Amino acid sequence: MKLEAANLTKSYHQHEVVNIEKVAFGAKGLEGLIGPNGAGKSTLMGLLTRRIAPTSGQIKLDTGQGARSLNPLKSHEVARIGLIKTNQRIQGFDSLTIRDSLRLAASDPKTEGFMSIFAGERDAEDIEERVSRLIEAFPFTDRNGYARSGGEKKLLDILRCLIAEPKLLLMDEPTAGLPDDITRTVMEMVREKVAGGEMRVVVVEHDLPLIWEYCDYVHFLSEGSILFEGAPEEVKANRVVAEKYMGV
Amino acid sequence: MDYLIFSFSLMLIYIGLAQLLHIQFGLAGIPNFGVVGFWGLGLYGTGVLYVTYSFPLLAAIAAASLISAAVAWVLAYLVLQRSGQSILAATLALAAIVATLVVTEKDITGGVQGIGTIGFPFSEMANRNVIYFGFLLAVVIGLIWVSARLRDSRLGRQLIAIRDNEELAASLGKDTAAAKRMTFVVTCALMGVLGGLSAPLHQFLVPYHLAPSLTFAVWIALVLGGKGHNLGAMIGVFATFGLFDILIETYAPVPQDYALMVPNFKLFCYGALLVLIIMYRPTGILGEDAPHERPKAAPTPVPDTPVKEG
Amino acid sequence: MLLVDAIFIGLLEASPLILAAMGFTLIFYLNGFMNIAYAETITFGAYFAILFNVVLGLHFYMAIVPSMLFSGVMSVIVYLGIFRPALNRGVGPTEMIILSVGVSFMLRYGLILIVGPENLFLNEPNVTYMQFMGLGATNLQLIALALVVLTAGTLYWMIYNTGLGEQMRGLANNHDLAMASGIDPHRTSMVIWFIAGCAGGLSGVFSGVFAQVTPYMGWNVILITMLVTIVAGIGSVRGAALAAIVAGILTAFITLVSKPLYSEVALLLAFIGVLTFRGARTA
Repeated sequence: MKLEAANLTKSYHQHEVVNIEKVAFGAKGLEGLIGPNGAGKSTLMGLLTRRIAPTSGQIKLDTGQGARSLNPLKSHEVARIGLIKTNQRIQGFDSLTIRDSLRLAASDPKTEGFMSIFAGERDAEDIEERVSRLIEAFPFTDRNGYARSGGEKKLLDILRCLIAEPKLLLMDEPTAGLPDDITRTVMEMVREKVAGGEMRVVVVEHDLPLIWEYCDYVHFLSEGSILFEGAPEEVKANRVVAEKYMGV
Repeated sequence: MDYLIFSFSLMLIYIGLAQLLHIQFGLAGIPNFGVVGFWGLGLYGTGVLYVTYSFPLLAAIAAASLISAAVAWVLAYLVLQRSGQSILAATLALAAIVATLVVTEKDITGGVQGIGTIGFPFSEMANRNVIYFGFLLAVVIGLIWVSARLRDSRLGRQLIAIRDNEELAASLGKDTAAAKRMTFVVTCALMGVLGGLSAPLHQFLVPYHLAPSLTFAVWIALVLGGKGHNLGAMIGVFATFGLFDILIETYAPVPQDYALMVPNFKLFCYGALLVLIIMYRPTGILGEDAPHERPKAAPTPVPDTPVKEG
Repeated sequence: MLLVDAIFIGLLEASPLILAAMGFTLIFYLNGFMNIAYAETITFGAYFAILFNVVLGLHFYMAIVPSMLFSGVMSVIVYLGIFRPALNRGVGPTEMIILSVGVSFMLRYGLILIVGPENLFLNEPNVTYMQFMGLGATNLQLIALALVVLTAGTLYWMIYNTGLGEQMRGLANNHDLAMASGIDPHRTSMVIWFIAGCAGGLSGVFSGVFAQVTPYMGWNVILITMLVTIVAGIGSVRGAALAAIVAGILTAFITLVSKPLYSEVALLLAFIGVLTFRGARTA
């Protein structure tokens, strides 16, 4: 598993937000991406999932069956080959219940065509089971109803991405807006899946203790470029990171 | 009596169109303001193929529906991924184009003189209009049934998701453009079928049939009945077409002098109803649909769980 | 020569359209929805002219200004009575359009119920036909064109050179911020709806005197107006005026080389095309 970007740039009104010579994600299992506010983390995430068009540069994803350029792909095609991102800002489907929202994410797009109108059962048993198991693991106010608070919506957004079974999951600030215990349950779940070889993960976070605790490898982004990469201890000890980010 | 059967048959056509619009707008969120255009392609396509080119009626209806589908496909490709206001204006423009072409291409359409006559398919039978009404009833019931299945299907769930948040649906791997396009093309083709089926009802087609008032009548019915409810379209047509065109026009004791004003009064009331509904009950008479698992009462907001600052 | 003719005829014929497009655009920009009931502002302008010119017997030129002002007032009344309460209730853009269709029906058919569906004619002033360098026009057409240029120019000046345009931009972009910086949203909105109403009314008066006054005259131009507005981009008053002029010239050109009705088809197709390739992602 390798998500590679080369000579990737993005400018708005001649102002360069991202300028990365070379970066690779997904080699180490659970990776972290940190950097000060305005470093271009969210823009980079958007570029990688094709939600933002790059000004220049190449993005390639190798899922083990040969490298594939993401540049010509649309957002849904990127998701289908296994690269999915959680949202920093709360997103959701207001008319779908928690269950329906998860069933939607778990369903193979091939089964959602015209003929599904005449299918006897709406969702296969294994999907129902996976959905139930995931819902039971969290204290939703109304498990058969809608996500109500902002926190529940944020959690549902992450769960939707998990149940879609990506090969590489990008998590954009998963702790923002979530209670501590929930964050912990989510991260344990993620760690388990990574350990089981089901997927690789990149976490974008400001919550450094979480990064140090869970990540095997950390990328440091500042002013649109990757300034340092390494194991958490190396990053913690790095002078540049300390200077630019931790304000030491 | 014959007139009453004609009115009820026409009402079925309206219910069918409103049901299709429910799928397009209520489920998939596509504001099609060119209903009369797709219906009219079916209507006039059938008339032209049947009268000018001597097609058998069923073949004419089938071919005309394919024309509706093809036009819908091109339009879908051009504007479906644009904003709602653009889709609205483009579909409205398409309906205007269809109405204009019917007047200009008088060699095949008969122009302002009109084209006809188109007979019922079972012309040798005595009660052919009643039989045809029964046939239309079966078609419309079938349509409502399929539409209900659609809402509870995987495709329907995907369409609702796209309506709510298209970008999010795409990020989960859903080909939103294709799903919307397919839905739009199929429903527009079915509008064409309803148009073709309307041809024997009108028998003689004139450009007046393609006036935009049909589009608005269908929209008003849908919004009135409830755009998000599967039976909203039907209730809406009862409350508009059924009430005014059938009940009042047939039974109300309107003095001769005022009879000509009734259609204008009707449209005035449609407008007033629409304003009242959008202002005071935007989900329509029936409200939002209640598919399984949905709580009866609207979810009451509960206090947020304590959250950590981001 | 054909081109010169087309430009000239197009300008003359498009003059009411230019005003309508500018007025429609103002509301679109300010409130973010397409107001189909603007069609009736145009229609009512012509009927107010009938009131002053035919019923009360004023000279046509004397009837122009009061008709225009009455349309402006009507526009504000409709805004205060229906659209503002609806916007305050948080009705979405598509629903606002449907609402405006309802308002449009109420006004149009209410008008028919009161004055009847017959076509009416304004008492035209004495019309003389003038020729200049091979181009012909009536004095009425020329006066109309002059007035349109004057009005459009004034409108343009008000929007780009007085505080009004600034306030409008502020309100359209960030309502709360605009209020915080001392803009009275209530007053600004009313002024905009009044100006838009006046422009629509004037457009109706000229459409009426060039042909006839019918309850459907506003509806007949609203589709083109809508497309002009969308193609010109959100609320660019400059763009709307320009697109309306181009549309007028294009119509005249196609009319000169083919059947008049084809020009409408060609125009609509051109708009759908522009919509697609310009990628007018509004709202």
